[in-house]
Amino acid sequence: MNTTEQLYKVIAKALDISTEIITDQLEYQSIVEWDSMSHLILVEALETAYNIEIETEDILEMSTVAKLKDVLKKKNIEMI
Amino acid sequence: MRLYDLIQQNKNLRFIDTVSGKSSMVTEFHKSIAIENSQGLGFVYSDNQIDSIEVFLNFLESNFTISLLNAQLNIQFKQSLEDIYQPYYIYDASRTEIKGYKKCSVSESITLFKRKTKQENPINKDIKLLLSTSGTTGNPKFVKLSDNNLVKNAMSILDYMPIKSDDVVPLNIPITYVYGLSIFTTNCIKANTIVCTNKDILQKDFWEDFKTYKFSTLSGVPYAYEMLNRIGFFKKEHEFLQYMTQAGGKLSKKLISVIIAYSKKHKIPFYTQYGQTEAAGRIAFLHPNDLLNRKYSIGKPIKGGRFELKEDTNELIYYGENVFGGYAQGLDDLASFNTSNKLFTGDIAKKDEDGYYYIVGRIKRIIKLFGTRINLDEVELILKNNLVGETFICTGIEDKYLSIVHLNKKLTDDSIKKILREKLNLHSSSIMIKCIDKIPLTANGKIDYQKTRELTII
Repeated sequence: MNTTEQLYKVIAKALDISTEIITDQLEYQSIVEWDSMSHLILVEALETAYNIEIETEDILEMSTVAKLKDVLKKKNIEMI
Repeated sequence: MRLYDLIQQNKNLRFIDTVSGKSSMVTEFHKSIAIENSQGLGFVYSDNQIDSIEVFLNFLESNFTISLLNAQLNIQFKQSLEDIYQPYYIYDASRTEIKGYKKCSVSESITLFKRKTKQENPINKDIKLLLSTSGTTGNPKFVKLSDNNLVKNAMSILDYMPIKSDDVVPLNIPITYVYGLSIFTTNCIKANTIVCTNKDILQKDFWEDFKTYKFSTLSGVPYAYEMLNRIGFFKKEHEFLQYMTQAGGKLSKKLISVIIAYSKKHKIPFYTQYGQTEAAGRIAFLHPNDLLNRKYSIGKPIKGGRFELKEDTNELIYYGENVFGGYAQGLDDLASFNTSNKLFTGDIAKKDEDGYYYIVGRIKRIIKLFGTRINLDEVELILKNNLVGETFICTGIEDKYLSIVHLNKKLTDDSIKKILREKLNLHSSSIMIKCIDKIPLTANGKIDYQKTRELTII
């Protein structure tokens, strides 16, 4: 079972931020913590957490938390 | 000829704003902003977007000394730099007011802040540009560069870099960083189009621009090449790409093999370069033909420069007209410019029998994390100031980790990481912390950094 709560924990750890500030609208480069470096850490963290591989297009696609969820959805990982 | 005149001489040069898609000829930026005809200091907080570029070019034309600073610098750092240097002009698109300054709208989109009282401290007329020795720590230590430094370095780079008059060049490295600045100056002198952008290579928009504007070249620090590799850049053919450049540290062995293979397959020359802010940009480069056989070398000095190894320490010494005129730590230091052709690089090097140089170590207490130069003494000071005077000892582990050792058992790792995150935007995964009982000292009572470093690795 995948929960949004778990996902937010993964994101928070990778970006080094608190889960409280995570929303669907949170955008890449909109906060200093979500920069190119932490973006790749995030990609890796998601790959490990959900045992998936994230391809180039998807790395570039994940520019907001909502879009990140879409990418996961495409890989049959839906949040409840 | 001045740098500005060399740029204006390139009549076909245009700048594209990727946000609006509009382009401006370089001639349109000539005196496009009213700047007083006097001497003084101007702070330009640049983000590589077209407004910053227009402001920078106008200040280059003027008699003002420019300090190019990162627009994303922490606001407290900005204010403390302004207190110390009291610039007459400030360009900072992120602020709507600055105490002691009045707002002047100088064009449709550009606002400058002008100091209400003019600073009377004399500035040496040879100082054209001040660059920060560190882009992020807000250290007031600036490198003083003359127009001649910048011109000489640009000319040396143009001697080897295959820049063509129809090239389209993205500013994907901040111009506040000397590598980005040298890409800017050389291409302004010789290329056709400069694409002003603050998009990075992990953004879809960047790659849309890459295709739309047909970028001729890409540049990056090692970390950017890691990213390019991760997103599969080297698996594809890029029709319009002519050459690539790299600077800012060593590439990993694995990555360099990938790049060599790509460069060979697609006939894309790859220029790896060695440089320093103190040399206004580049110091040495490895010719693409030598990449395969001397992949770990920094190559040979640029045209007009030469190397020497210091006898006792093997420190690399560089001689050239691009060497800076000293550091500034405050206003008083702006009164002088010490022309010198000699630069102690702080790097330890060796030379092979064919005259190629290799960096084997570092004397200066700096590390590079993700391409950003970090002065370890400054980090120690920032931690000390923010954590009630505790003692911290910082060392670097192969430019990958910042190792921190302290003596206070009550101090949590999180409190340290939090400060480094806030002040320097360092990711906690690149920080290693250890609390110890006693600081290792050398025989003569100095901190033994080698031993301290080893303590965190275990």
